[in-house]
Amino acid sequence: MKSTRLVAAVAVLGLAVAACGSSAEEVPADGGGLGTAQQPVSIRVIANDAFAKQWQDKLVPEFNKKYPNIKVTIDGIPYNDQLAKTMLELTGTTATYDAVLADDPWIPQLAKTGALYDLKGQELAKWNDPEYDWADFHATPLAAGEWEGKQYAVPVRSNLLLMFYNKSLYKKAGVAEPTDETTWEQYFADAQKLVQDTDGDGKTDSWAVGTYFTKDPLTPTVWQTVLNSDGGKLLDDKMQVAFAGEAGVKALQTQVDLLKYAPPGASTYQFNEPLEAFRQGKTATMFMWGSVFKGTAVDKETTTLTPEEVGITTMPAGTAGPGAHRGIWSAGISKKSEHPAAAWTWLQWVTSKQGEQFVGKEFGTFPARNSTLDGTPPADWAGPVYQALKDGYEVASKGQMWRPRLPESDAVQQILALQTSRAMSGQATSQQAIDQAAKEITELLKTKGYGQ
Amino acid sequence: MVRRYAAIAGAILVTLAFLFPVLYMVSISFKLPKDIFTVPPRWLGEFTLDNYVSYFHQARILPRIVNTIIIAVGASAISMIAGSMAGYALSRMRMRGAGVVGGLILASRAVPPIALVVPLFLVARKLGLTDQYITVILAYVTFLVPYVVWLMRAFFRGLPKELEEAAMIDGCSRFGAFFRVIVPTSITGLVSTLIFCIILAWEELLFALILTNDRAVTIPVAIAGIAADTEKGGMWGPLAAVGVLTVLPVVVFALLVQKYLIKGLADGATKG
Amino acid sequence: MRRVRLGEPGTAWLFLTPALVLLAGMLLYPIFYTLWVSMSDFDLATFQPTGWVGWRNYEAVLNDPGFLESLRVTAVYLVIALPLQMVLGFAIAFLLNVPWRGRGVLRALFLIPMVVAPVVAGGVWRMLLDPLWGVVNYTLGLVGIGPVEWIGDPVLAMASVIIIDTWRWTPFVVLIASAGIMALPGDVYEAAKSDGAGRWATLRHVTLPLLVPVMAAAFVVRWLGAVKMFDIALAATKGGPGNATNVVNLYIYEKGFRSLEFGSASSMATIVLVVTMLITFVLFRVSRRLENRW
Repeated sequence: MKSTRLVAAVAVLGLAVAACGSSAEEVPADGGGLGTAQQPVSIRVIANDAFAKQWQDKLVPEFNKKYPNIKVTIDGIPYNDQLAKTMLELTGTTATYDAVLADDPWIPQLAKTGALYDLKGQELAKWNDPEYDWADFHATPLAAGEWEGKQYAVPVRSNLLLMFYNKSLYKKAGVAEPTDETTWEQYFADAQKLVQDTDGDGKTDSWAVGTYFTKDPLTPTVWQTVLNSDGGKLLDDKMQVAFAGEAGVKALQTQVDLLKYAPPGASTYQFNEPLEAFRQGKTATMFMWGSVFKGTAVDKETTTLTPEEVGITTMPAGTAGPGAHRGIWSAGISKKSEHPAAAWTWLQWVTSKQGEQFVGKEFGTFPARNSTLDGTPPADWAGPVYQALKDGYEVASKGQMWRPRLPESDAVQQILALQTSRAMSGQATSQQAIDQAAKEITELLKTKGYGQ
Repeated sequence: MVRRYAAIAGAILVTLAFLFPVLYMVSISFKLPKDIFTVPPRWLGEFTLDNYVSYFHQARILPRIVNTIIIAVGASAISMIAGSMAGYALSRMRMRGAGVVGGLILASRAVPPIALVVPLFLVARKLGLTDQYITVILAYVTFLVPYVVWLMRAFFRGLPKELEEAAMIDGCSRFGAFFRVIVPTSITGLVSTLIFCIILAWEELLFALILTNDRAVTIPVAIAGIAADTEKGGMWGPLAAVGVLTVLPVVVFALLVQKYLIKGLADGATKG
Repeated sequence: MRRVRLGEPGTAWLFLTPALVLLAGMLLYPIFYTLWVSMSDFDLATFQPTGWVGWRNYEAVLNDPGFLESLRVTAVYLVIALPLQMVLGFAIAFLLNVPWRGRGVLRALFLIPMVVAPVVAGGVWRMLLDPLWGVVNYTLGLVGIGPVEWIGDPVLAMASVIIIDTWRWTPFVVLIASAGIMALPGDVYEAAKSDGAGRWATLRHVTLPLLVPVMAAAFVVRWLGAVKMFDIALAATKGGPGNATNVVNLYIYEKGFRSLEFGSASSMATIVLVVTMLITFVLFRVSRRLENRW
């Protein structure tokens, strides 16, 4: 006990000497160090409120078993305002936050501020863990943290828009269960039969589908996926609108048509309503984020369904193959951090094989590493889910099934959300909505200096 | 007499109608997620306290309620003092430009919150004052003061003018007359305005969200976090439970001061 | 009722000082900053306004159909919701004023709709109004109506937002109106009674005129609150379907905080500030005239 203290004290002295000469403005050469028992270092992380506390309570103590002298504080921000808040925090002269968590479409926006380190770059290389295996990441989730050739963030919670289906309702309707080869034509043919009266009282009490239909930036992701699985794109490589033609109208119309087979009131569905409808056995399929699987099929207090009843696969296929839509939470390190060594050490640990398996087991978080995807799933129910995830990763990369990769991503998605909502509520035809969206997005990109 | 009972019955019915969504919220808060969305709707499901437990820790409800109380009380106190003094000057004192000043104070409330919150954050950061009670309190004061000025101006106007004349003849200064005579006489209006201030500060989200990080985070931020929980879904039970928990302190406060909501002291003052 | 002519102007300014210092100290810089941003290019990388662009943002905003639409939507909402809330609020205040033992408790309970966080209130109402599992449509279904798409239909969505907003803010009017009614001097009633005035005559010629200052104040405060309303629309309809319930402050909020277009958001905020100030000034003049008539 005494000797460790002595060692620690010497280490502190050494650090103090080493720190001499560096001005307060600059990051010390040791990146703030990894702390000692006497002088632990503190880092602060800005995260989504949905899992900040979970991380603080379970992930941080697990991390501290290996690095006891790095104190980690995780602040949760409500999702809807997280991007704006993160932008405000990142762009100051001093950094409140050392590490930043970001949703899939935010990376270009955050990277453009110049406030994030290139994680594969030279500046952080000094503190690289030699065992950290970049090559083990599946390319699809890893690409979410990349922008203009640099890796600004690394996946911490992966997710995909997939198709859930209720096997009992398929059976009752006498329809074969969907596979990853089911096409949209087949799906719609089945959908008519899946709107059914299950208890024989003459009233329809079960419908074919639930998903996002309301005015929400996530709603257009459904038809974006349809567009992608027909080989179409929202924006081309020159950042010009590429959905304005027939393909875009057809894709949007597909989502509008889904509404016919959805429960009454489905046009207002956001995240929760389709989830509840599916969990109550009211809809036979649901296009939803894979992460809800546990709460939908396993947890008795949230669902009426069982793991045997719930299937999960990629979304129906278009001409180019099945669909999935990427939604990866990634984390990066702030350049203004005074403790980049500790912050990068923490992030490497969280996204290491060990860290990823820990969060997979504790929280049911989906992995981004091939070794985890191919390894033993943390529970029996996770087997088929990991399979769907792997299939989804493949098709998502092939069809570039993600939201636009540019700093104006959220502005683009807002325009799409509004026009999608107009089409959903019958205020505009799909053609009109697509035309208007194309016009507004072109206008927006023009003012932002993209050649149009 | 019949008329009176009809009025009482009407009052109870109207109150119940307004409370219906609240009662529904209470019922949700005691249900399991699988019993919340049912066809047909049910008032009661399998009884559970899970909703009160599950997020209580995760969303750090208790410390955040304490933060909310400190901020709401602090902001309301400052606003009530500054605002009622200004309202008094505007309603009962001779001064040039009362109209312009009153109009300006009121118009200051017209600034859209979104235009205030970003610059306030930038200033607070420059001064190292983010995530502090005082920052949020002062931000709330900006939108509470105009309301207090305007409401108290109206209440003070209704007072008979003999009030402070008598007090000042007795040797009180203006300030003395204001605090010893006017304030006690207007207690109903003051308490009503105070309740309004506390409620507004209690439920404010945008400023709290941007100006705090951890230590000073208030309940509406916690609620927004639960509502936007895109991980699990099915958070309506916990949301309703937190909703109930946040309503309780204000209701208790209102019940404690309800005697001031009934008794009009103006009568007594003029007669006495 | 005449304004009391007492005291020195200097003392009056002394009474005004705390409020003016607080407001000026907190508001001048943000307003200046907003004007500055509205006239410049906003560089998100540094989160600072750069390059002066003059009125360009304003031009863009005034040509933005969404913004103009949101102004129209706001006007519709205000024109229906405000009078509704005022009338309901004062009527209920009179009802709650009937003396009996429970009225204090009722008044306290009546505050609750205001206290429920907007996100929770919006969510609970969405559940109540849902065509599949909502209580409202279930009840309507029992008498053979429906199911009604309360939130999904553009016109009904506006009605729903107004209903929710009225549920939420009528209690404020009740609170202020009750205080006003209770502060009425009792002797005028006795005088009216001894003059043989009937119930309605007393109400029209005695009570209402005395309540004018409080009514005007409650209206102006409610007006300023309603102009800023966006939380309920966000929670209940997200401004949809389409732009059907996209009130102007929601539109600005989404432009700024979702699309991160702070330049146009600031121009819109400035326009809304100027328009609100002008209308507030008119209301202010009208209410002072009303006050001075009696």
